[in-house]
Amino acid sequence: MDTFKLEILTPNGEIFNGEVLNVVLPGEEGEFGVLAGHASVTTLLEAGVVDVEKEDKSVESILINWGVAQVDEEKVIILVEGAVAIRGENENEIADALEEAKKLISDIADANPAIASVSAKIESAAQGLL
Amino acid sequence: MANLKDIQRQIKSVSNTQKTTRAMKLVSTAKLRRAEELAKRSRLYAEKMNQVIAEIAGRIECSKIGGIENRCFTPIENPKVVDIVFVTADKGLCGGFNIQTIKAVNKLLKEYKEQDVKVRLRGIGKKGIEFFNYNETEMFDTVTNLSSKPDKERSDKFIETSIEDYKDGKIDALHIVYNGYKNMITQELHVNKVLPVDTTSFDCNTVQSSSMLEIEAEDEEKMLDSLVNKYVGYSMYYSLIDSVAAEHSARMQAMDTATNNAKEMVKSLNVEFNKARQAAITTELIEIISGVESMK
Repeated sequence: MDTFKLEILTPNGEIFNGEVLNVVLPGEEGEFGVLAGHASVTTLLEAGVVDVEKEDKSVESILINWGVAQVDEEKVIILVEGAVAIRGENENEIADALEEAKKLISDIADANPAIASVSAKIESAAQGLL
Repeated sequence: MANLKDIQRQIKSVSNTQKTTRAMKLVSTAKLRRAEELAKRSRLYAEKMNQVIAEIAGRIECSKIGGIENRCFTPIENPKVVDIVFVTADKGLCGGFNIQTIKAVNKLLKEYKEQDVKVRLRGIGKKGIEFFNYNETEMFDTVTNLSSKPDKERSDKFIETSIEDYKDGKIDALHIVYNGYKNMITQELHVNKVLPVDTTSFDCNTVQSSSMLEIEAEDEEKMLDSLVNKYVGYSMYYSLIDSVAAEHSARMQAMDTATNNAKEMVKSLNVEFNKARQAAITTELIEIISGVESMK
């Protein structure tokens, strides 16, 4: 399977930059997946979880609160306001990341009632890592 | 010949000043490191954001896709009212940092005045505000304590007025003027025209061939609106971050020069002091010798 370049940028720096196989984005009108060679599209993203399938087939989940995705044939650039990657070397780090993600969720919870499903999603993502 | 005591007092005062300037330099160096880090991390995001906006704007301009009519992307021929937002420091003692920004604002003001355009001046930072108050230039509104401590929420709130007014047609352009950070020793003045988004720099020919832009027809207005809000908001915030970094680097430099000058001054005062002391000794000796001579 072909890979493509994915960049996720936050105002505080890069949170992800690398070659990936597949990425699922929480678009305004529903989730959509992007594979290499996707047609160009520019769209807004809602608060939700970005699932990134990396070259080694492992999946990483990144929580975002707002974003704009620019997709073209070779690369995907996602600009987000706030993001937390659910990852870590050991249990402690993952737990910390989860804690941080929950904080971000509670910050955006008022504006978006559908946030509960996002919360469940990151929980299961974290469970998967442990 | 200056009095010995006077010189001594002067030396003491200059070396005290030197202590202060040296301390200020150290403080600025520490603060600069933090501000620089923040600015560096944000720069990438700001650049990408500009790129995305420029591309969208360019495509709208070139292909007029879907008949998108958004005020933010259409160049306005004869502006009547424009907003100028300037960012200066809250504190002085940073060399020409503030005055450079003020000069740029004045130039812009003059240009608009010649074209008979009304300008709403919106000020951030005490130093600039003080200057325009003193010169009795009317300001639309002012904010202090924001440029020394950039805060996303406050900056968003501040710039929101301009975005809303622009969308409502109350103003026809928005400029942000600030002095940004280039490296440890140079600052770079930025006069950014944020609204309407500049489409002139975009080359239509390169786009058409490469790839197409697809925006869902239903939400294109909403998307552009939301994107413009974030873009302008972030431009404002980034200006503040960049300005803080520049302020500290300017102050660091100014204080370094001041410390060096003080050092030079102490040195020359010391020479003067020694000369005066020697002169006093010589005079005394001559007095003694001539006294002894006269007694013979």
